[in-house]
Amino acid sequence: MQRFHFYSPKSIEEALTYLSDKGDRCKMIAGGTDLIPALRTESLHPEFVLDLLEIEQMRGIREIDHTIWIGPTTTFTEIVESDLLSRHFPLLVQAAASVGGPQIRNRGTVGGNIANASPAADVLPAILALDGELELQSKTYGKRRLPLDEAIASPYRTNFRPDEILTGIVIKKLEEGTKCGFEKLGRRNAMARARMNLSVVLQMDREERVKELRIVPGAVMPMARRVKSAEGRLLGQKPEASLIEITIEALSKEMVQVAGVRWSTGYKVPVLKNMTRRLLRELIETD
Amino acid sequence: MEGAERMSEKTLLRMEVNGKTVEVLIDPTRTLLQVLREELKLTGTKKGCGKGDCGVCTVIMNGKAVNACLVLALQAEGKEIETVEGLGTPEKLHPLQASFIKSGAVQCGFCTPGMLMSAVALLRKNPHPKEEEIKRGISGNLCRCTGYIKIIKAIQNVVK
Repeated sequence: MQRFHFYSPKSIEEALTYLSDKGDRCKMIAGGTDLIPALRTESLHPEFVLDLLEIEQMRGIREIDHTIWIGPTTTFTEIVESDLLSRHFPLLVQAAASVGGPQIRNRGTVGGNIANASPAADVLPAILALDGELELQSKTYGKRRLPLDEAIASPYRTNFRPDEILTGIVIKKLEEGTKCGFEKLGRRNAMARARMNLSVVLQMDREERVKELRIVPGAVMPMARRVKSAEGRLLGQKPEASLIEITIEALSKEMVQVAGVRWSTGYKVPVLKNMTRRLLRELIETD
Repeated sequence: MEGAERMSEKTLLRMEVNGKTVEVLIDPTRTLLQVLREELKLTGTKKGCGKGDCGVCTVIMNGKAVNACLVLALQAEGKEIETVEGLGTPEKLHPLQASFIKSGAVQCGFCTPGMLMSAVALLRKNPHPKEEEIKRGISGNLCRCTGYIKIIKAIQNVVK
């Protein structure tokens, strides 16, 4: 590991000042589960490492009116153990529970999952499906809000400004009766990168038609996002079997269009369809 | 100038390890695993993959099981660290250590310290885990020898 200076401030202000001063010579660290392996293989050589874990203002899970605010240094374990999140966003809890193993979950953070922007991230797509928004701060530009679906530029690259720190994640509470679910496929039951994951949010109206539908497949495209071409097939309709087939067909078509035909396509096309069909049915059938 | 600055900077790290306060002067690039093993000579915690995939470096930090290879030593400032050395002694084994031995859960022994620490963390949170919960509790620890069954039994035997 190449030498670096280490700075662990207690406030966001100190962190912002440091970051704006050091610029791209500085890398931020939270749980370190992505950064430290990268430092070891020397794929990154920052001169300065800015620790975010001692900043109290970046922790916590709070209800604020019709939204839930999640601090970016909230660990996956803290998400899993949160009653508030289990009640409002079971999808997010399931996604966080699927990451790594206990030791990784005790350190890895939701902010890190977003900022790292891996195509195979688990929690990032879940927050996309929940239409999450990011709170960002920088010394130069002040505060701003950015919807998560505008925050990912390319694999492993966010649209954050160079001296910007992710300081909050805001998710609007779901309407009464909205269901959500998450599934992940990996080579193992734990400690596995997602080969494919799926986040779905579904709301039916009183006539049993689909009122709201959000489908975010992960680890199948360079950047996870809602697949509106698939969602649109079911919106406003009764979710009959034939319509579900059309929806999953549109989903897999989008995947191949965006990601291209790869060695894994022959596997991922039928598996994505089956996974989506199963999760949609499960959500439609539960109350 | 900048190069010299980078090379010479050592920082004082102060933390509690197995109940004792320790102070060491270290390079900021050191991980907690390196400091435990090399500066503090606590070699019970093992070095494996170095990237959080195998769990042999598992220690408990402020009550939570973590991979010491993924904690920068300076991130342990002010924290309480528990390693396998703090569990018991040959004269007075921790119940889990005794159970591991009795249950045949130790073959080469390399995964054992990490397994013990994960088990300790699990049982503190969940004193009566079901089998599935035990499996999940040690899902961050690889074992190449035992096939896990006796490790799970060793933990179950302590729970009864």
